[in-house]
Amino acid sequence: MLRARYGRTVIEARELAKHYRVHRRQPGLRAALRSFVRREHVTVRAVDRVSFTIAEGEVVGFLGPNGAGKTTTLKCLTGLLHPTTGAVRVLGHTPHRREPEFLRRISLVMGQRNSLFWDLPAADAFEVNRAIYGIAPGPYRSALEELVDLLDLEPLLHKQVRVLSLGERMRCELAGALLHRPDVLFLDEPTLGLDVNGQAAVRTFLRDYNTRHGATVLLTSHYMGDVTALARRVLVIDHGTLRFDGDLAALVEAHSPHRLVRVTLRETVPAETWAGLGEVSSIDGAVVTLAVPRAETAAIAARLLTTLPVEDVAIEDPPVEEIIRNVFAHA
Amino acid sequence: MRDVLPAYPSLVRSATLVAATYRGRVVLSLLTAFFPLLTMAVWLTVVAEGGPPDGWTTDDFLSYYAAATLLWNLTGDRVVWQWDADMRSGDLSVRLLRPVHPFHQYATSDLGQRLVFLVVLVPALVLAAWLVPGLNYPADPLRLAAVAAALVLAYAVSLLMASTFALIGFWSTQTTNGWLLWWGLGSFASGWVAPLALMPDWLRTAGLVLPFRTTMGFPVELLMGRLDAHQTAYGFAVGLGWLAAFALLYRVAWRFGVRRYQAVAG
Repeated sequence: MLRARYGRTVIEARELAKHYRVHRRQPGLRAALRSFVRREHVTVRAVDRVSFTIAEGEVVGFLGPNGAGKTTTLKCLTGLLHPTTGAVRVLGHTPHRREPEFLRRISLVMGQRNSLFWDLPAADAFEVNRAIYGIAPGPYRSALEELVDLLDLEPLLHKQVRVLSLGERMRCELAGALLHRPDVLFLDEPTLGLDVNGQAAVRTFLRDYNTRHGATVLLTSHYMGDVTALARRVLVIDHGTLRFDGDLAALVEAHSPHRLVRVTLRETVPAETWAGLGEVSSIDGAVVTLAVPRAETAAIAARLLTTLPVEDVAIEDPPVEEIIRNVFAHA
Repeated sequence: MRDVLPAYPSLVRSATLVAATYRGRVVLSLLTAFFPLLTMAVWLTVVAEGGPPDGWTTDDFLSYYAAATLLWNLTGDRVVWQWDADMRSGDLSVRLLRPVHPFHQYATSDLGQRLVFLVVLVPALVLAAWLVPGLNYPADPLRLAAVAAALVLAYAVSLLMASTFALIGFWSTQTTNGWLLWWGLGSFASGWVAPLALMPDWLRTAGLVLPFRTTMGFPVELLMGRLDAHQTAYGFAVGLGWLAAFALLYRVAWRFGVRRYQAVAG
């Protein structure tokens, strides 16, 4: 149903698998000497038969714990890695062939990696990107003006990239990655290490960019705030296997049988009042939070309003972090 | 290649800007640019004590190593270290994502840095050739044009040889050590240790067909007017042959090597 709102498929992974052969040895001198003579290797199944499609203009969150296979999948989709088996198509191209026409239409922003020229001022670094992507002067000027405006880059343009703070650098990274107006944007932890304001600025910008240009976005992040702010659909991966693909709301519904009802009372009531209404999650003065079965939320809220001196009632889902933890805990 | 060429000026310019960013580094690097003069000093001492070998004079050694200074700074071997560092750290990923093949990114980065040296070195050598007695380079326009072509060929062969060698990094972590061994052995056949004409027969014969002489001895001997038309044509033929061979080797190694890239660290 979600897919119907969007256009044609631009990203397709079919039975995608990426296995690594890695050298392994025990710690210590003896193990080091033994390993010098006889190498032990193990095969790591970083991604194992993952299939999904993403439509043009969609913003999809890619969730999973560390080592789940998110970044490996992203690297296969951008052509950095050759899949062990399976097939990947992005914008009609096979990514690992890395044709220039394909690379000019995508961008991968890696929160922990610098892609701009470290020793140059941001303005010079952008100019290099202009040359690399073969952007004509007119479109370059307009893209740069737009990005400088949206990301508030004017004060940063003439500073060396290496002296910028993490948040400033990430804003410049985003600008550098978007100068050529990619159709598909892959974001790997774009708000990693940023403070709350920095995270909010990046999220606002990305939402705005998606709206303005209709770019398809696939985002991995450990900050659930990034995902809830930007993505309606999520892919959940764990141990290299896709566990869930669908609406974020459906994920919440499927993995959280309870909703939280926060009641603000005009006066305190005895503790036994809550018996039969739900599980008391917390009591903070006059504010009581109840975890109630999802199906009975409306009825219980109505009972609260009619039987208790209620000043305010708020109904919300548990934090998505908690739900995701549940998904992985039960996987 | 047609797609890539328009990006060359900007990429070379940015590398020059990076190279010129740190003044201390530029000054120290410029000092190392004159390293061949140390070898020249050794040979001048040997010649002063034991007399010059047959066919060579003190002035010839002076001219040989002064010109060698230019070739010392016109080599692409620095790319081996760049490739190696980027493969280990995973920074190659950033280059792989750009619509310009990493070879051109490393080549332009190297060229840009070379320009900083050449801007200082070329006028210094021209001035020295004019003022220093004993430096003798026949100023025949045809020969100078051939020397210019030989210098371009020297850089191209050196860059492609180093880039091809760097791709071993897809299979092994010992690229730089391997390169040092390769370069060290090659320095006997290239003319770095001594002019090839002074080497034993077997080494001289081998040197004439190996790629190393193209990157050093050939352009220097040509500049000094020690090669006739036949020897010059032979030198170009060997150089162009190796250029084609390394281009082919590079393509094959890239095709199979890049599949093994693991894009480590994020």
